[in-house]
Amino acid sequence: MGNRIGVFVCHCGINIAATVDVKKVAGYAKTLDNVVVAKDYKYMCSAGGAKLITESVNEYKLDSVVIACCSPRMHEHTFRGVVESAGVNAFNLEIANIREQCSWVHDDKARATEKAKILVRGAVSKARLLEPLQTSKIKVNSNALVVGAGIAGIQSALDLAEEGHKVYLVEKNPSIGGRMAQLDKTFPTLDCSGCILTPKMMEAAKHPNIELLTYSEVVSVEGSIGNYSVKVKKKARFVDMDKCTGCGDCVAACRLKGRISNEFDEGIGKRSAIYLPFPQAVPLKCVIDKNHCLMLTLGKCGTGPLCVDACEANAIDFKQKDEEVEIKVGAIVVATGYDLLDPTSLYEYGYAHSKDVITTMQMERLISTSGPTGGEILRPSNGEKPKSITYILCVGSRDETQCTWCCRIGCMSALKHAYLLKEKLGDNVELNICYTDIRSFGKGYEEFYHKIRGMNTNFFRGRPSEVHVSPDKITVDIFDTTTSKLFEIDTDLVVLVPAIVPRADADNLARILHISQGADGFFLEAHPKLRPVDTTTGGVFIAGCCQGPKDIQDSVAQASAAAARAANILSKKELESEPMISVVDEDLCSGCGTCISVCPYNAIEKVEGEGGKMLAKVNEALCMGCGACVASCPSGAMQQRGYKDKQMIPMIDEETS
Amino acid sequence: MKYALYPGCVMPTEQYAYELSIREVLPKLGVELVDLKGFSCCGGPLKSVNQMITLSLAARNIAIAEKEDLDIFAPCPICHLTLSEAKRILDSDPDMKERVNNYLKDEGLTYTGTSDIVHTVDLLHDVIGIDKIKKLVKTPLKDIKIASHYGCHTIRPSEIGRPDDSENPEKMDRILEVIGGKSEYYPEKLDCCGGLLNANLPESALTKTGQKLQRIQEQGFDLLVDVCPWGHRQFDAKQSKAGETVATKLEVPVFYLTQLLGLSFGISKEKLGLNLNLSPVEKISVGGK
Repeated sequence: MGNRIGVFVCHCGINIAATVDVKKVAGYAKTLDNVVVAKDYKYMCSAGGAKLITESVNEYKLDSVVIACCSPRMHEHTFRGVVESAGVNAFNLEIANIREQCSWVHDDKARATEKAKILVRGAVSKARLLEPLQTSKIKVNSNALVVGAGIAGIQSALDLAEEGHKVYLVEKNPSIGGRMAQLDKTFPTLDCSGCILTPKMMEAAKHPNIELLTYSEVVSVEGSIGNYSVKVKKKARFVDMDKCTGCGDCVAACRLKGRISNEFDEGIGKRSAIYLPFPQAVPLKCVIDKNHCLMLTLGKCGTGPLCVDACEANAIDFKQKDEEVEIKVGAIVVATGYDLLDPTSLYEYGYAHSKDVITTMQMERLISTSGPTGGEILRPSNGEKPKSITYILCVGSRDETQCTWCCRIGCMSALKHAYLLKEKLGDNVELNICYTDIRSFGKGYEEFYHKIRGMNTNFFRGRPSEVHVSPDKITVDIFDTTTSKLFEIDTDLVVLVPAIVPRADADNLARILHISQGADGFFLEAHPKLRPVDTTTGGVFIAGCCQGPKDIQDSVAQASAAAARAANILSKKELESEPMISVVDEDLCSGCGTCISVCPYNAIEKVEGEGGKMLAKVNEALCMGCGACVASCPSGAMQQRGYKDKQMIPMIDEETS
Repeated sequence: MKYALYPGCVMPTEQYAYELSIREVLPKLGVELVDLKGFSCCGGPLKSVNQMITLSLAARNIAIAEKEDLDIFAPCPICHLTLSEAKRILDSDPDMKERVNNYLKDEGLTYTGTSDIVHTVDLLHDVIGIDKIKKLVKTPLKDIKIASHYGCHTIRPSEIGRPDDSENPEKMDRILEVIGGKSEYYPEKLDCCGGLLNANLPESALTKTGQKLQRIQEQGFDLLVDVCPWGHRQFDAKQSKAGETVATKLEVPVFYLTQLLGLSFGISKEKLGLNLNLSPVEKISVGGK
């Protein structure tokens, strides 16, 4: 009884053949029950290998195939296509991984060959019991969701909208634009950041296929590839979007004008309780900060709210409530960006002790003409022009006690500032740059670095041991490793270039979207080289700094890539669903519901069966085949197609005997 | 609470005030100090000569306390570091533990790893706790602006776990606050006392001491407080000499933390060994300037 099996052993060049005697393995396979043919070949995944498999299937009338090769993650998909075109059901294929799990991790050829034989024996025992499986078709919703409307999110949304898909662009802040909107100029071309970003923001706002959901957050995601159902919370602005003209009269009238730290200016500037996020905000609508507004915190504002008096459009509505909307999409692009490490915890750099120790982002706001000083570079402590400015790179980056990774933009942003500061303050300003290595890897970056080096700047290679903050001066201690000398730099303003870290709420979003994070907390791509914008969850893609630190160029490239990958799904009418999902044996199921509680996809429900018996029922469109229910089922009623107990147990027995 | 008092070498041979004030203050906070026979050098000074000797000496001292089932209180940060480092090595390396125990066999000692090792700062802040300290305060140090000096080994190397944070130590400052002092940040807070440079660069050692004291004096601090006999020797006994290196007449009163605690508890100056301090401690009268 059982299938007629063919075994095909791959050399993988020398990847397998150098450590495993592939001919011996093929010879051994021939001796196993039900195996009617066993062959080896140099590259089984090549056209020649496919031909060999196809010919063997026809010649020996095979109905099950075992391929001993690399991990199924690499080529299972390829080989399913090969056996299917040869006339065998695509799921009557079993892979014995003798590369990652054997040849690559061993060096004793004799013992590795024995192990490969055991792995093949196990695969053959399962192949005897494989059953043909059928895929089903699921309809695809052609809408897309883009989470995060920084430059990456905007780019993805525009690309998808241009392809004809309806795009919901969700942004948690009151305006789209993200980090790039805060920047003055971009490196290395010194393009005005606003000048190149604002047209994109306007385009996204006006595009007939894009629906902006600003000041909104994703709260839940259900469903699977092709059919996601997403709940989005629209936070109350307390301003009627239809009525508000963005004139700013209310902002000027607010009783708390100039009293609240402005997040867009990184805490250097002040704003009112009702505010426009920034002059080029899209949408250009006011929003009330409910944590500060006197009406919303105390219930009264002097003799009456001044903003209401000032607003000619009658747009202010203190009764507005958060509201939740549900949207249906086929694919999701996540582009939620990054946070900067708060340097307060790095006490040695004095950020906690002096106003004149600032971050690059704060300096960016000082340089910007729309910033709190109108583009004048002034010391936050006393409003005077600094005569000496010292940059400290890699603050928390490439540091085993903080973030082990490189932020990839710190060097270039400091070099950019050096250029802009010389332009603003004149060549006499002393500029000191304390660096670990200058990483100017991008196109035109090295040339920019050379330009700055040729200017009147001081470069110190090393990490300052301490920034001493006295009332009268700031001193930076640095051991310069190029001259092996200790320098004590007296300076007026210290700029820290902090590490790029995942968003504070990245863990929560990863949980909502069922996507993975790396050890560093950034969202994890499905494959670092070959699937850089995919996640392991079908239909969810990542772009920009939520995947890891990168500059604008790379973020935009990745955003377009993610949009293209999402469009692959959205442009199809139907998708084939994986047949390897759970099924219930109704005779064994007692309706206990344990499986329902462990299912992460809400794919199981309790239904009434024949004679009033309660049973678990799997929704085939929602089941992702994770197997959690199978492992939890106390009676063995829950089985996963392609991985049934009766298929797995003989395999385990063979491999452990 | 019962601890074996591990005196080290500097405290019992010249920094008597530290020991006197410890023996006055800690029993008031419910700590019974036990003197054990047989303690030797902690091993720290030999580290650059022979690490095996350092390890064996440290293990031997810990084993003496373990035999009496006692945790160790080492008021000297260097002793504390040497003993803690040995404990860390021996607890994670069974082969090394066996080798060291072979050396200890002749004396009938065995290192097992059961004793904890504490220093003044963590004993006061973490074990006793500032609430308990606060209850004993009779005469608070009102309006006294204090500069705290932790000493290098109280806070470093951070990876082996020290009594306080390596970049932002605050435990001593919190203790000073509950006894009424105003412990303020100053940029030289973590600067070196110079003490460990004495052996080969005595001039540089004094310069470091002088520079730190000069900055403290310039910033208007009323006194400097420390918890290390090496640092105290520099700041207190060598203060006037250190002043010469920076051409300044230095007049900074320098106290051990335990002396200030004792004063706030109402213990007499004599019992706390204040007459042994060589810096102008008489400038400070408890309860006001």
